[in-house]
Amino acid sequence: MPTKPPSTACRLLLDPPGGGAWNMAVDEVLLERSVEDNRCCWRMYRWREPTLSLGYFQPHGDRRDHAHSMNCPTVRRLTGGGAIVHDIELTYSLVVPAGHPLAVQRNRLYETVHNSLIETLAEFGVAATLYRNCRQRRPSVEPFLCFQRRAPGDMLAGGIKIAGSAQRRRRGVVLQHGSILLGRSEAAPELDGLAEIAQNSITAEVMSEAWTAVLAEDLSFTWHEEPLSEHERRLASELAQEKYASAGWTVI
Amino acid sequence: MTPEQLLYTKSHEWAYVQDDPSGAKIATVGLSAFALELLTDLVYVDLPEVGRRVSAGEPLGEIESVKAVSDLYSPVDGEVVEVNTALADNLAGLADDPYDAGWFVKIRIADESLLAGLLDYAAYQKQCAEEEH
Repeated sequence: MPTKPPSTACRLLLDPPGGGAWNMAVDEVLLERSVEDNRCCWRMYRWREPTLSLGYFQPHGDRRDHAHSMNCPTVRRLTGGGAIVHDIELTYSLVVPAGHPLAVQRNRLYETVHNSLIETLAEFGVAATLYRNCRQRRPSVEPFLCFQRRAPGDMLAGGIKIAGSAQRRRRGVVLQHGSILLGRSEAAPELDGLAEIAQNSITAEVMSEAWTAVLAEDLSFTWHEEPLSEHERRLASELAQEKYASAGWTVI
Repeated sequence: MTPEQLLYTKSHEWAYVQDDPSGAKIATVGLSAFALELLTDLVYVDLPEVGRRVSAGEPLGEIESVKAVSDLYSPVDGEVVEVNTALADNLAGLADDPYDAGWFVKIRIADESLLAGLLDYAAYQKQCAEEEH
């Protein structure tokens, strides 16, 4: 069993719903900030409207094969993995600075975060596990949607993937994005979420509050709630406009 | 080549420095076995084009494993003179041969003095041991 991470002061951002370009820009600002100041940051957020986010290397043209999300605005993430329809779900981003034990091993960070979510869901009577089937060969062509893919460390409930994460590593700092599917979306009706599995709905606010408490214990985090500064908001606004809202970034 | 012959960055790229027939110093660059083991299943690599100028410590490409994208950093200042285009079709085998078939790019070194800032094998091993704990 891995040793518990060292006690770490962690900035906590509980953000109101934002647009796709804004949400992705904020996460990159937080990543860059950690390159400079070595701080850990946890952010929970939602999306102003149902939005499709593509994995960093995912061809934009692949979305033609997913008719249900065709009317959703699209943004490309900095992190890898498959496409996510951000609708009835909760998104998090975690920035872990270079040199922190959780930043070194990719699987450990996935599993530590996902295990804390398993504990949280148990409080709501939902039994979830980590996907462990490492012997199964990955398909040569992965499904378009992240929640239809399987990788070790993904979180399953009732055999259905309900949470997944993806990372970006820059100068030793890790940005980990993750999504928890709270319910079925009209823009991705093939995916059941917690509401369909658990037969009762858990709101993003309730989930966020319960998970934050468990995370503090499991990741040895001491929370310091600190909203974006004016400077960070300005940087994110510029990045959203110049990068994440541009066709040059999204349509590849 | 063997790991002991190489120089390393703190971000786990390796460099093997040789003279070309004209006497210019050429660095062959790849990613260490330690880093490849951490990345696990690789799915995509994006490498620079021949002719691109790169700077030590600055990104020269990107590599994606299952759901993780990592920047690749140049160990040296210089110009890319050759790219291992066969790598993209054999990423699954990269971890089996990271120091020969697994090279990424060859760079004509512009400033040899920067090589002194790279780690030798012993120093790199020490860094890896520290990261594992």
